[in-house]
Amino acid sequence: MTDIAMILDRIGRKLVGEVAPKLEGDYSAGHAAMAGLMSVMAGEMWDGAADRLFTETGEMRALLQAAGRDVQVPDAPSLKVSDLTAERDALARELIEAQKALELRNDEAAQALNAQIWLFYIQTAQARMPSPPDFPDPEEEV
Amino acid sequence: MLEEELAAKFTAYAASRIPGARNLSVTEIARIHGGASRQTYSIDLAYEDPTGPQTRGVILRRDPPDSLIETERRIEFAAIKSAYGQGDIPVPEAMFLETDPGPLGAPFFVMGRIEGGEPINPFKIEAIEPHRVDIGRQFFKHLGSIAAIPVMGSPLTDEMDMPTPDQCWRKELDYWMNEIRSNASSPQPIAEAAIRHLERNPPPPAQRLSIVHGDYRNGNFLHDGAGRINAVLDWEMAHIGDPYEDLAWATDLLWCGNDQERAAGFIPWPEAIGIWQEASGCQFDPIAFEWWSIFTHVKALGIWITSAKAFKDAVNDDPILAWSGWFTHNAHELMIAMRLGQKYAVGAPS
Repeated sequence: MTDIAMILDRIGRKLVGEVAPKLEGDYSAGHAAMAGLMSVMAGEMWDGAADRLFTETGEMRALLQAAGRDVQVPDAPSLKVSDLTAERDALARELIEAQKALELRNDEAAQALNAQIWLFYIQTAQARMPSPPDFPDPEEEV
Repeated sequence: MLEEELAAKFTAYAASRIPGARNLSVTEIARIHGGASRQTYSIDLAYEDPTGPQTRGVILRRDPPDSLIETERRIEFAAIKSAYGQGDIPVPEAMFLETDPGPLGAPFFVMGRIEGGEPINPFKIEAIEPHRVDIGRQFFKHLGSIAAIPVMGSPLTDEMDMPTPDQCWRKELDYWMNEIRSNASSPQPIAEAAIRHLERNPPPPAQRLSIVHGDYRNGNFLHDGAGRINAVLDWEMAHIGDPYEDLAWATDLLWCGNDQERAAGFIPWPEAIGIWQEASGCQFDPIAFEWWSIFTHVKALGIWITSAKAFKDAVNDDPILAWSGWFTHNAHELMIAMRLGQKYAVGAPS
């Protein structure tokens, strides 16, 4: 069974729906519910993690090229999330410097590219946002 | 430390601190969710004093054993003392502050327990209907009343320096900028861009220096279930500064039930602002509010990043810290990107 997203989702729902209620009154009930909630969220995000990072790094390289930066960050050696994250972080450091330089300019080209960077931030923040899990209230379960 | 062991040690401590108490015992102790950065316990005490048998409910807030935040505990204690008895702000009585880790293994303080209170889930504000409007009016009145507490001579001034009105924003921005840069495990381009924006567009000087609660929001007060706020809690981020910091924090979108039409998810904005102005004595300034509102997102990122680091480093394994470092961090990054993305869009008014 390799459907990791499904496994995390089911474990999370088990924790929230069964384990946490049985611990009610104990401090660890909150831990179980929160762990379950995040397990469901992790299940949702697991499936798209590599694709999201791959898309992010490609868009960052395009923005840095448009800003005229001589980027020396190598491509990730694999599609492992850890490798893609390391590449993304290195490019993010470059992007911070590129945007700082753009903000010091007043020309239209700089303003347009800065606006593109902000649009990129919106899109990546939206892509990273897990859906709030839709657990019913206890009274709704009856 | 097990709760039984804690109860035994606290029994000895409380017996020495409550004047005239004899045969003191802890009859009930339960850990409660009171924020991941400290351990919070609800304790029932029974004892005798010269007037006869007594019972008392108290709240013990203890730093985790590896905590380096003794200063925060002192500040929280001083802030509660500063607000206690001021007008009708519902604040528990600050009873003892113990900075010696000897008695309970870590610094702690004790405050009176306010009975019959429950928190509001910021993600389910509608659950307090039909009391939403009444709670909202009190929420903004107490917020304004905190801003109006005389700062000079308050216990909080013994614990910290007082900024000048034009330094408030810089002091806070520097603090949270340092928290972000010191604790982030990855580059933070959105936070950095927001910090630069705030530096380039400073707010007007504070209209007055006030006690700033620092974390006044849905989830950090209790209500009695019948439309009355009966406790304002969680003062550990209190400081002296610009009252707009609290107003902006209290109305941040994250704890407004995603309701942009009602301030803090409670009542229409004009009514909320009117109540706050009357109670605080401040005049609403949209330019100041805008600055502090974006600052709020940056401050929140600082908290979420610090929380994530504590979880990652296994300093504190409470899952709420992972949640903060993930979901709420993302939420505030998205808010910053949406708001500043509009400001810096081509053709946007400068």
